[in-house]
Amino acid sequence: MVFTSFNFLVFFPTVLVVYFLLPQKFRWIFLLAASYYFYINIKPVYAVLLAAVTLTTYIFTNLIAKTKSDGKRRAYMVTSVILTLLPLFFFKYFNFVNEGIYSLLNLVGLHLQLPHISMLLPVGISFYTFMALGYTIDVYNEEIDAEKNIGVVALFLSFFPVVMSGPIERAGNMFHQFKGKLEFSAEKVVQGLQLMLWGYFMKLALADRLSIYIDAVFKNADQHVGSSLLLATLMQPIRVYGDLGGYSLIAIGCARVMGINVIPNFNRPFFATTMSEFWRRWHISLIKWLTDYVYTPLSFGFRKYGMWGIVISLNLTFIISGAWHGAAFNFLVWGFIQGVALSVEMLTRKSKDAFEARFNLAKKWWYMLFGCAFTYLLFALSLSFGGDAATVPEVLKILGRIVTDPIQMPYKDGDTMLYGFLAFAIVFIKDFMEEFYPGRVLLFNNKNNTVRWLAYYCVLFLIFYLGIFSGEQFVYFQF
Amino acid sequence: MQKEEIVNRLTPVFRKVFSDNSLVVTDELSALDVENWDSLSHMLLISEVETEFAIKFKLKDLNKMANVGDMIEIIRSKFQ
Repeated sequence: MVFTSFNFLVFFPTVLVVYFLLPQKFRWIFLLAASYYFYINIKPVYAVLLAAVTLTTYIFTNLIAKTKSDGKRRAYMVTSVILTLLPLFFFKYFNFVNEGIYSLLNLVGLHLQLPHISMLLPVGISFYTFMALGYTIDVYNEEIDAEKNIGVVALFLSFFPVVMSGPIERAGNMFHQFKGKLEFSAEKVVQGLQLMLWGYFMKLALADRLSIYIDAVFKNADQHVGSSLLLATLMQPIRVYGDLGGYSLIAIGCARVMGINVIPNFNRPFFATTMSEFWRRWHISLIKWLTDYVYTPLSFGFRKYGMWGIVISLNLTFIISGAWHGAAFNFLVWGFIQGVALSVEMLTRKSKDAFEARFNLAKKWWYMLFGCAFTYLLFALSLSFGGDAATVPEVLKILGRIVTDPIQMPYKDGDTMLYGFLAFAIVFIKDFMEEFYPGRVLLFNNKNNTVRWLAYYCVLFLIFYLGIFSGEQFVYFQF
Repeated sequence: MQKEEIVNRLTPVFRKVFSDNSLVVTDELSALDVENWDSLSHMLLISEVETEFAIKFKLKDLNKMANVGDMIEIIRSKFQ
């Protein structure tokens, strides 16, 4: 079931009504049932996998908590991590690794036929696997107690607003909410619905609109001129922001309506002036997860190498992030570009700071604009490698043609460009005001009823006017 | 080791890592208060502190360091 489907428009209000009619102590149980119904609706057999990961996590976290010996605790933690990763590896990386082995064998003259899995990746597996791993490691590090109630663990890993594409939640943030008072709060209902409304706008009016142009160009890249390829490349970050950013707001909004706070995932990323700042604003839940469970242990291990230890850890972390996004070399290149960009920033930070201080640049608007533009361009370039269908040679060919093709008028799709630009302008102005003039212009939060309701109707009208209703999937469902 | 001695030895380490000669080390000081104190410079700080005091932190120790006060307590515990 997709957030933009008709089924969800029936499912969510029904869940809400039953949820709030039930006595408080039964609400979390109902949420668990609703979440499994939601997930089974996608493909029943994959729910078995989710249940297996839940059971593994539950058993091993409790074993870790009960055990005193450090060695045994560690063994339980490692076993749990391996078992939890197995389904993800099987569905996501089996073919990738096999193809690698096949290519290597081919190089030495051995032509063996290796098995190939042709099953779809279970939706959300990358997300709930990371959530389960995070919880297990937190229990091992004694940062959280092991949960005795398997139902709470099951709800944490299957919670329907976040199960498909995050935000990648933490047990420490969710358990106490599920076990606490899940009360009706008119304020939270309004906040949640506002987030959902804006999320739908970002997804339907911005992301899906731009997807028409981007897909038309990249699916027939050979037939398009360099300027069209450049335009589509530049649109990609905005499309993903609209898609995952929109999805995240709908997810966070859904949970908020039910009285549950989910961590944010984006914070006006295009106003970042450096890549390191960008990664504190983009897909925050994933980056925080990678920082805590991959980067920190790695950099701790390499700390005796000083700066270079951090450089190695950064690059490895982002290559793992690339692999998490997709089992293909292009995603590894995407991750490597991020790692290199961040390493360069870190190694030059002191001289950059001194340069900025010397010429008093840090608060100059044109300098900030330059930083934002450079960061955006670098991310757009890296994102060329982050497409699901593109191989590294294809991407290099596209980038080469952007540079070498003679300047011509790009491919024109009047409606898409006009409506896409309009949707982007609205999102940009909103983000700009919140970034630089917070609280100055209030629409959704205006105390005046007329202004507030007018704002709701305007966004709703714009969703229907500018939006695409062809049942487009969310980009991050494939991960 | 006395807390005062730890603070006195930590101050130049902090000032060097964060390139700020006016930085004052207090119990409440945390990453939120210092520009450039992020996950990258944090590990440099950890490494410099280990060298200064000739100690080794555990990964678990890092998770318990919410501010400098926590760090001082962990350093003290290494000398007990």
